[in-house]
Amino acid sequence: MLLIHCPYCEEDRPEVEFANGGQAHIARPADPSAYSDPQWEEFLYIRRNPRGRHHERWRHVHGCGRFFNAVRDTVSDRFETTYKAGEPAR
Amino acid sequence: MLEIAPMKLSAADLALPAEALVADGVQLALADDYARFSLRARDAAILEGLLGRKLPAKIGETLDGVACLGPDEWLALLPAGTALPLGEGLPVSVTDISSRALGFVVEGPRAVELITSGCPLDVAKFPIGRGTRTVFETVEIVVWRTAEARFHIEVWRSFAPWLWHALAAAA
Repeated sequence: MLLIHCPYCEEDRPEVEFANGGQAHIARPADPSAYSDPQWEEFLYIRRNPRGRHHERWRHVHGCGRFFNAVRDTVSDRFETTYKAGEPAR
Repeated sequence: MLEIAPMKLSAADLALPAEALVADGVQLALADDYARFSLRARDAAILEGLLGRKLPAKIGETLDGVACLGPDEWLALLPAGTALPLGEGLPVSVTDISSRALGFVVEGPRAVELITSGCPLDVAKFPIGRGTRTVFETVEIVVWRTAEARFHIEVWRSFAPWLWHALAAAA
C-alpha cells in the first residue's frame, strides 16, 4: 500500500485514508461575470494530463479531513512532496 | 427554537448483542454511554477559554477525554450527561453528537491483532493515549488506545452492526 505524507498530521498515512481532489492550483475567476465562454470552458473543463510531474489536490478524508497539495509522478505513482493548501506550488 | 429529543439507542435497536464477546485472548464489548461533542475552532485558545480546559495541541494526541482529530477539530468523549457551553456568538462550534456514534471496547493481548485485521495503521506502535480517525476496511472509525491492551473504537451507529460482526469474525 502507498503511504502518503499528510502535511497537517505530519506523518505518513495509508493511501486508503485519502481521496484525490483533481488538479491543484486552479484559481477561481476573480470577476466571474466578465468571463467569456471560452474562458469558462478553460476554467471548468480543461485540465493538464501530464506524463510525469503533476500537481494534485488530495484530501485526508478519513484522518484530519484537510485538503492539501501534492506533487505526484503520474508514471511511477511516487509522491515527490506534499504541502499545505495555500502554500505556493513546488 | 426547535427542541430535538435525543435518540436513545440500545444494543437491541441495532441488533447487537448486549453481552461482551469473549474469545481467545481478546474481549469485544459495547462501551458505556458517553456524552460526545464535536469541537471546532480555528483558534484553540478561544475554545479552551470557553470550556475552561486545556485541549490537546497535536493531531492524534488526547487529553482528559478529548482527542485532537484535525488542525481545527476535536472529539470530546465525556461522562454521559455532561453538558458543555455552546459558545453562542464566539467563532467556535460545539455540537452534541452523542447519538451519532457508538463505542466498542477491544481488550486483551490480541486486541492489536483484532484491530489490524481491518485497519491499515500500525496500531501496535500507538503510545497509550493516542487517538486518531482512520478506517476499518471501508468504515470510518476513531481508534483510541486507552491502555496497553485496551482500545476504544468509535463508529457511526449505522456502521456499528457491520463492524461488530467484522471484529467478531476476526476474533
